[in-house]
Amino acid sequence: MSHFDEMTCLLYLEGQLDADHAERVRAHAAGCAECRGLLRALQTESVWLRESLEADEESVPARLVQAPEHGGAPWGWISALGLSAGGAYTVWSGFIEPWRAQVAQAGFTQGNLLTMLFFSGAFWKGWDAMRSLLEFLAIATLGLVVMWLLRRHLRRTTALAVVMGALALMVALPPSAAAAEQRHGDPNYTLPAGEVVHTDLIVSADSTRIDGDVEGDLIAFSRSVTVNGHIKGDIIAFSQELRVNGPVDGNVRAFVQSLQLYGTVTRNVLAWAGDVNLDQDAKVNGTLTAGSGHLEVNGKLVGDLLAFSGDVDINGQLGHNARIRGGHLTIGSRAEIAGQTTALLRQPPDVSTSAKMARPLDWTLTKRGSETSYSSGRYYLHQILKWGASFLFGLVLLFIVPGFFFDAVKACGKTAPAIGFGVLFFFAIPIAAVIVCITVVGLGVGISAMMFWAIAIYAAQVLVGAWLGEKILGEGAGAGAALGRLALGLAILRALGMLPYLGGWISFVVVIWGMGAVALAIYKNMRPQMAAVAAAV
Amino acid sequence: MSTAELADLLAQVRAGDSDAWGDLYGQYAPAIFRFCRRALPTREDAEDATTEIFMKVRQKLGMYDSSRPFTAWLYKVASNHCWDTLRRRRIRQDLETGDLETLPLEHPDPSQLEQLQIDHDSKHVRAGLAKLPDRARMALVLRYYSEMSYDEIADTLGVRRAFVGVLLLRARHQLRDVLAESGGGLHGAAAGGRA
Repeated sequence: MSHFDEMTCLLYLEGQLDADHAERVRAHAAGCAECRGLLRALQTESVWLRESLEADEESVPARLVQAPEHGGAPWGWISALGLSAGGAYTVWSGFIEPWRAQVAQAGFTQGNLLTMLFFSGAFWKGWDAMRSLLEFLAIATLGLVVMWLLRRHLRRTTALAVVMGALALMVALPPSAAAAEQRHGDPNYTLPAGEVVHTDLIVSADSTRIDGDVEGDLIAFSRSVTVNGHIKGDIIAFSQELRVNGPVDGNVRAFVQSLQLYGTVTRNVLAWAGDVNLDQDAKVNGTLTAGSGHLEVNGKLVGDLLAFSGDVDINGQLGHNARIRGGHLTIGSRAEIAGQTTALLRQPPDVSTSAKMARPLDWTLTKRGSETSYSSGRYYLHQILKWGASFLFGLVLLFIVPGFFFDAVKACGKTAPAIGFGVLFFFAIPIAAVIVCITVVGLGVGISAMMFWAIAIYAAQVLVGAWLGEKILGEGAGAGAALGRLALGLAILRALGMLPYLGGWISFVVVIWGMGAVALAIYKNMRPQMAAVAAAV
Repeated sequence: MSTAELADLLAQVRAGDSDAWGDLYGQYAPAIFRFCRRALPTREDAEDATTEIFMKVRQKLGMYDSSRPFTAWLYKVASNHCWDTLRRRRIRQDLETGDLETLPLEHPDPSQLEQLQIDHDSKHVRAGLAKLPDRARMALVLRYYSEMSYDEIADTLGVRRAFVGVLLLRARHQLRDVLAESGGGLHGAAAGGRA
């Protein structure tokens, strides 16, 4: 009779064969030295495995000494709820409400925030945009619900990848779905006079010149953009210089070094720029919203002016109100302002006696942003609320991605690599994102990267805070202990950040440090998958 | 701890007694940590898993059938948790299964097998175990550390019962290969021998 195979021998030893089969093995082994030898070797191996596995040469770690208190002390939840309210109040009082008040004072008089945001002012583009926004919100909400339901089945990094991928996709989809012509300069691009682009026109070039007409939007990524033709949609420009000589039926949105307006803009102008100049021949029928180093309004502005600028010179006509926050304001002799002008300034304004103003200028002198009011109770209240907001962020992070949270906190302990990676990512991500954006095709990826970067900057203080709390109180088990340590660590960091002169630098180092920890934690989570892929390949 | 004492302790934990929970944890956490340490690839994973397992235990204690041994139930919770953790991380499970279906069943050389056991102590074995694919490592730990039956292993790993033996044999072969590579000597035992 032939020998039994190893599988049969193992099953025999493990008592997994039926009686007949086992009897046959036993009978064969009685007369077969070779099979007896194999059975003995396998049996010895089983004993050897058991003994090796049972041998105890490793101590139980200190952090496991204390029992996890899941559902025990509810103080974590109570403080979380309190801080949630504080965090929400901070966001409202610190960001939304002041902005709403400023915009309302500047003449955007609609009743509530939503109407103001979407039905008027610089942001309103039309019902299509509104529908897109609602779709975006619906998709985002649905995505969050699905992620929550599937959280047990998703790998932590998979979840992150899904979120980032979905964001990238959502941001990237609108341009690809819309009818648009894409043009790449070689290195310059010119749309000749007499030519008409019947859709949106997206241009990336060193220098862009538009002498023809565009019936849709003009979206330009270019060092220099000059528009002489007629743009029937909006102009959206990311460039060093934007010069608009021709008429624009829609809005102008410029993220540029210098914006020069010589033509007529039927709707609104939104500019984030070093210099903004509304020439005396220029006319804006809507509003002008500018965040700039220097702003000159020499032409005619029919709507409101909202400016956050270092210097503001007004020498033109303003049909409505002006709300200005900045360093210095000059109102020249040719200025005509039909509405109310309100200004928060760091220097007293220069107002020409020849200027025609429907109402007297209402201005207030403010302190420089760097001058901290240590004697003000409001300052300390704000610090507490900011602490609450960061604690709330940490709480959300801890409960949505606990594994990542603890990995990142642990990574903070590797100070040198964390700071090294932090410096790299702090500077490299924005540069890479801008480069990717300029290629147009990667716009979604670039914007997603910047969003991730911004989130990582905020998360940095939370992670370093949690690590610091753990260093002081020692390692704890469970979410309650982690929250207590987070609260303490964040309070210390907030207090350090309040130090005169040093505070800003400390906060900067914390951001770098935490960002590096985020990078290390992501790397750690991705590594097993990468190894698996490598093994599969 | 006697059965009656354990039953009393469990009743107190169910009633929300924090001290009793601390006692129960203190009694079983070291064993569960050791189990996790063998089932999962790193010490950090084992620490995290131990905490998470006890959180689950506290939540699910109401579902424990007191007619069955508590330790068996505890190990079942622990093994399910560890396997879930590993499974969520892996994307090559199907590939491993494919390999197992075509496993060549050959005899090793008993003398080389015995030599391997002489050459490697328990530390080597556990280091070798950490290098095994997740499923192979899990199968060996469940069988030779937790002393689970083939039915329980099949249930935990989500495979057919008839497949458990193949899984264990394959895991032994892989462990022999790993140890042979690290210490030399056995490669022929897994591949050589007679049909």
